[in-house]
This record gives sequence, C-alpha cells and structure tokens, in this order.
Amino acid sequence: MNEKEPQKDAELVELSKKNPESFGFLMERYEAQLFNYIRRIGQLSKEDTEDILQEVFIKIYKNLNGYDESLKFSSWVYRIAHNHVIDHFRRANARPKTNSLEDEEWERLISSSVRMDKAIMDKDCIERIKTCIQELPMKYREVLILRFIEEKDYEEIMDILRKPKGSVATLVSRGKEMLVRNMKEKNINCF
Amino acid sequence: MDNIVKSTIEKIKNEHIAPESKWKYIAKKYFTWVIFGAIILLGSASFSAAYYLVSGLDWDLYRFAHQSFLGFAIPLIPYFWIFIIGAFLLAAFIDMRKTENGYRYGVGKIALVTIGSLIIFGIIFSLIGFGGRFNSVVAKSFPYYGNHMMMTKESQWMQPDKGFLAGTIDSVSSGNAALTDLNGKNWDVTIDENTLVRPAADVSKGEMIKVIGKKQGAGSFHANEIRPWSGMGMMNGQGGGNGYGGGMMNGQGMMRGGK
Repeated sequence: MNEKEPQKDAELVELSKKNPESFGFLMERYEAQLFNYIRRIGQLSKEDTEDILQEVFIKIYKNLNGYDESLKFSSWVYRIAHNHVIDHFRRANARPKTNSLEDEEWERLISSSVRMDKAIMDKDCIERIKTCIQELPMKYREVLILRFIEEKDYEEIMDILRKPKGSVATLVSRGKEMLVRNMKEKNINCF
Repeated sequence: MDNIVKSTIEKIKNEHIAPESKWKYIAKKYFTWVIFGAIILLGSASFSAAYYLVSGLDWDLYRFAHQSFLGFAIPLIPYFWIFIIGAFLLAAFIDMRKTENGYRYGVGKIALVTIGSLIIFGIIFSLIGFGGRFNSVVAKSFPYYGNHMMMTKESQWMQPDKGFLAGTIDSVSSGNAALTDLNGKNWDVTIDENTLVRPAADVSKGEMIKVIGKKQGAGSFHANEIRPWSGMGMMNGQGGGNGYGGGMMNGQGMMRGGK
C-alpha cells in the first residue's frame, strides 16, 4: 500500500479494534468536525464541549463492532455525537435553548434558510433573525444546522438522525417556513 | 485539541476499555427481526382465524331474513380479529422501523412488506386449516370473545325464531325429519313438496343439515329449504362454497322434497 495514501475510515475502524493507537488517526480526522458540531447544537463552554467530545470518542470506540459499513463513517460518528449531546441535556434535565454559532456560521445559516444575500445583511438584521431562529423548536434547528452549517445532504442527515428521508426534507422545509413566518410576525424585512 | 486525542488513548489504555463484542450487535439486530417475524406470524394466524369465520358464514341469508345486505353483513364482520390484525400490523410497522436500517424504508415499502407477508402467511395458515384451531384456542382462552363477540356458522344457524336451524338428522319419514339441533334440542322438521332440497344436501339419518324455514311451535319447524352443513350445496357432492353461484338462479339441479 502506498504509505502516502490516506487509509479509509473502514480500514482504520478494523485496525482500531485491535489497537487503540490506530483509533487516534480516526479521532484526529474527526475531532474538529465533531467539536464544532457539539458546540453548535449545544450551548456549552469550551471545556464542557471537550469533555463531551472525549465521551463521544470513548463511545465510538466501545461501539466499533456495531459500525455498519453501509453507512458513511462520518454519519455514524455524527449520530453518536448527536445522541450523546441529547442524552447529556436529558441527564441535566435541560434542553439547549440556544445554539453557539459563530458570526460567520449565523450568516451562512440565515442566508441559506431565508435565501438572503450575505452582502445586504447588516448587524442589526442578523441579530433579529438570530432571535427568530433561536425560537424555532429544537428539531427544526438541528436539521437546519446539519443542512446549512455542517453541509450534510439529506441522505446523511437521515442516517445521523435515524429519520426517513421524507421526514428530514419536511423538517428542513417546515423549519424554513416557520422562520420566514416568525420574521414576518416580527416585521423583519432586510431584503 | 491534540490533548483530547492523547488523553482519550490514555484513558482507553488505563481503563482497559475495549470495543464491545460484535455478538452483542448481531444478537440485537436479529432479535428485532425475530420479534418482527413473531408479530407477522401471530398477525397471519389472526388473519386465517378471521377468514375461517367469514368463509364459514352463509352470506346469502339476508334474503331470507328480509334485510338489506349491509344491515345483515355489519354484525357478521369479525371486528375482534380486525382489531387484532390492525394491532399486529401497527406493532410490525413500529418494529420494522426500529431495525438497524428501518428508518430508511418509506411508509409504503414497510406497509407493503408487513401487509403482504401477513396475507401470504395467512393464506398458508388457512390452507393448512390453522385458522379454525387458532380461533378455538382464543375463544377458550377468552370466554368473553367466545360467548359475546364471535359470530360463527353455528350461531348464525341456531336462530330458529328467525327461521334458521341446523343439526343432525335422527330419523327421516314421509313428510318430516327428526333433528337434534346444535344445542341438543329435538325438532320435528316438516318437509313438503315446496321444500327446496339443495343437490348436495343428503337428507338421511346421521347427516348434518341446515334448514331455512319457519318455527311453528316449541319443537316444530317447517322447512322451506334444506342445505348440507358445509357450504350452500349448489353442486352435487360439493360444498358449493360461499359465493352466490349461478345454480341458484334458475333452480337447475334442485330437488323438491316431500313427494
């Protein structure tokens, strides 16, 4: 095998089952993505996010034999991360009321959700739309984040959330509709 | 961030964390499918029990009961089994969705697989005669169902006040037959030249027959029509099934009794 060619996820999974050091390569590959995803769907401090990320990695490692190769490995690890964050908030008897997105991520989410050109967004407008997004139920916020921030396609979101593709498409479209409705109700017109 | 990778590897090593056995996942995967199979088999048995009840009934009696077909048929529908089949279909649907990749199947696909397999196995159970036995077991286990909710061929034909009687012939003489009904009561059934005896009906001692007619007294019944116990007796030597066959239309093959 060409040493420069990166190993496929499935191959690393097989190696990781025998040697935890190999699992390190998988962790390196996904740590930034998962860290950001956990940060985006919860509202946690950096330290808490890192703690949860480590718990997610341990969970992934323990469940390596349960990985179904018909799925993308990334979808599978996102699923574990998603479920772990939900469990975390359930244990804490709380739900993430807001999402910790960075300014650029908010802009991306808003421009994709309401088809608004980033160039015409002013700060005040973004702040007001952010409030509308935060008011959406969690189920809509999480699909919008997966679709427009994580840039996952419907197939991947279906595998992450274990929901039929039709339900995912409905959630995305209803989330967008609800957001536009909220904006109209609040007389937000930045177009 | 690098610290997370390093500290996680250390934690795995120090705490001797290992991937869980693959057998656990295989067992979990197959357990869901075994449950699905069991639900489908029970649903199929219920389907065959419903079919057993429905196919045993004579659906043309509304004409003799002076009722519309709808008014006659509604009380005969096996609601108990329809409810049970519905519950099993719902359980099968939920269980299939809970399989490893169940969320990927659309509602139509799951409905097709669950309803299709339930009907196929239901037909197989009916062909091997399991429906009647399953219905009997349930009727014995749940007396309320057996006593109040089950409309059988027996209950349909044990309504002498409405003109329907069934039983075993004890003796036959000119113009009448002694009959012991399904509850053990004795009847004197009069047969005259206007009595229609279906071709497959054997009016002789020891035979089970169904009689349409009129109750005339405590133990007396006038027969307008005599059918064999099985089927409608349209064709000679055959049960004739439950259809509304053409043999009845012009009276061909019928015999008039009491001559």
